[in-house]
Amino acid sequence: MHVTSLQLQQFRNIPELDLSCPEDLHLFVGANAQGKTNLLESLYMISLGKSHRARSLQECIRFGEQTAMIRTRTEARSKKNRLELKLLPKGRKIKKNGLEVAKLSQYIGTLPVVLFAPEDLQLVKGGPQVRRKFLDVEIGQISPAYVHHLTQLKNLLKERNQLLKNLSKNNTFPLTFLDVLDEQLIELSVSIWRKRIESLARLQEWAEEIHLSITKGEERLRIEYIPSVPIHAQMSEQDMKHVMLKSLEKVRKKEIILGNTLLGPHRDDFSLQQNKLDYHTFGSQGQQRTAALSLKLAELQLVKEAKGNFPVLLLDDVLSELDDSRKTHLLESIRGRVQTFVTATGLDGIDLQTQKQAVVYHVKNGHVTRA
Amino acid sequence: MYLPEPIVNLIDGFQRLPGIGAKTAQRLAFTILKMDDEDVADFAQALIQVKRDLKICTVCQNISDQDICDICQDKSRDTSIICVIQETKDLIAMERTREFNGLYHVLGGAISPIEGIGPEQLKIPSLLERLSDEKVKELILATNPNMEGEATAMYLSRLVKPFGIKVTRIAHGLPVGGDLEYADEVTLTKALEGRREV
Ligand SMILES: Nc1ncnc2c1ncn2[C@@H]1O[C@H](COP(=O)(O)OP(=O)(O)O)[C@@H](O)[C@H]1O
Ligand SMILES: [Mg+2]
Ligand SMILES: [Zn+2]
Repeated sequence: MHVTSLQLQQFRNIPELDLSCPEDLHLFVGANAQGKTNLLESLYMISLGKSHRARSLQECIRFGEQTAMIRTRTEARSKKNRLELKLLPKGRKIKKNGLEVAKLSQYIGTLPVVLFAPEDLQLVKGGPQVRRKFLDVEIGQISPAYVHHLTQLKNLLKERNQLLKNLSKNNTFPLTFLDVLDEQLIELSVSIWRKRIESLARLQEWAEEIHLSITKGEERLRIEYIPSVPIHAQMSEQDMKHVMLKSLEKVRKKEIILGNTLLGPHRDDFSLQQNKLDYHTFGSQGQQRTAALSLKLAELQLVKEAKGNFPVLLLDDVLSELDDSRKTHLLESIRGRVQTFVTATGLDGIDLQTQKQAVVYHVKNGHVTRA
Repeated sequence: MYLPEPIVNLIDGFQRLPGIGAKTAQRLAFTILKMDDEDVADFAQALIQVKRDLKICTVCQNISDQDICDICQDKSRDTSIICVIQETKDLIAMERTREFNGLYHVLGGAISPIEGIGPEQLKIPSLLERLSDEKVKELILATNPNMEGEATAMYLSRLVKPFGIKVTRIAHGLPVGGDLEYADEVTLTKALEGRREV
């Protein structure tokens, strides 16, 4: 997968950008707060319809402006697409080849991206919600049905939580309706679990291999799904449904008191471990960083396996954080195969071979110029 | 921008309609200004009349100009089947097919705790009343194929179980005339789930 051009209008601090970028490696160099991450953010956004860091889409509209625009042309094998995302004062409009896209599930996956940034250390160090988001973004890019199910789950949880709150206030809502929503929750949970378990198993295989190689055979990385309900990979769908039903029955009273849905994919987690020790608690900062890197590199492979093409890789400020051996491993594994957009505050620490291969740009105050 | 109050009121009126923003509302209002007095009077009259003269059918909750709507009064229709829909516009869509010859029941929405709509807010009690009538043999649940519509259908099917009536749910999936190749994965999955023996 290649992004062959990128155009921006009034996106964050970038008033206007028109970049032709068919090459494999692009290196954006500039001091802090000049717009390097903004540039990568725009690619992430046109890929996934949302930002990796903004709380609202409108935050990305340049101060004092009403709308912002991102346009790209992409190419995978000989298949070309024109993508456009317009940020409006309320909401957004997405077009694919000139046609408006109504549902995100019909769009996500057109331009798969993998972003690796310093805050990805949180994948290992942070709370479960960071890992759930990683899973959801990563699986969403290879499965439209998964995106659809996640949206449904989000809506269902809103309804169900409201119902639980009503029930706790002895509202007139019949309990039978909670049974109905439970049935919907069970149905959705099982399809989401199936996808997550299946994808994590593939991810585990790739990550283990990559991690062994980066650590020169010293660490064997294991990934384990931790569901909020005692289901496991070998269970049949029927059994999963039964287990969830029983678990929901057990917590029903508590759920009504708390007005909150306590079980389901939105409460799950996964762990990264080595010899049964969790990197979250036992890893050194360096080990945690390596585990996060392995996971991201495995993600590249997973997308490639599912879609037939490598995703576009966005590396934000990470080269300076990695030691030489990990940096070499990273650059070796993408060289000539994965189109990559890299940001850095300077060229030191980036080997000459990479510098020579890359198209280098300077980023200053929202303006991007080719070096 | 300065505008005289009467036109501001008219613009506000149009803006209350779904799908109409400030710009369109303004364009519509200025169009009215240019229309003949007589046409404007007819239009205004129509607006007032629709609220004054239109009734809700006491049987099926469809809109009507009588207490009982034409469909419910039609002796040629099959009174043993009731098709449950969310809104009157769904009834119009069903009628356009000319394939359905039973009766309807308009719920007036779907159950949604978030929207504050419970079974009580919908025309469910009157539906149950109709079902107690022995003539009804089949209930077709044709609520929307989204989460709320689905939940409402599931709720109704649980509710009418004691009546021992045959309950069916309309199938949804591929649009006819659409190429399988271009159907998205979600629609295809739904269509697969709703498959039937041939
Ligand atoms: N909506 C916006 N409009 C204008 N400038 C913005 C907007 N959002 C962020 N910025 C500016 O963008 C700069 C940060 O850009 P960023 O890409 O994060 O920097 P870096 O080059 O360090 O990665 C800051 O100067 C910030 O004020
Ligand atoms: Mg930055
Ligand atoms: Zn009627």
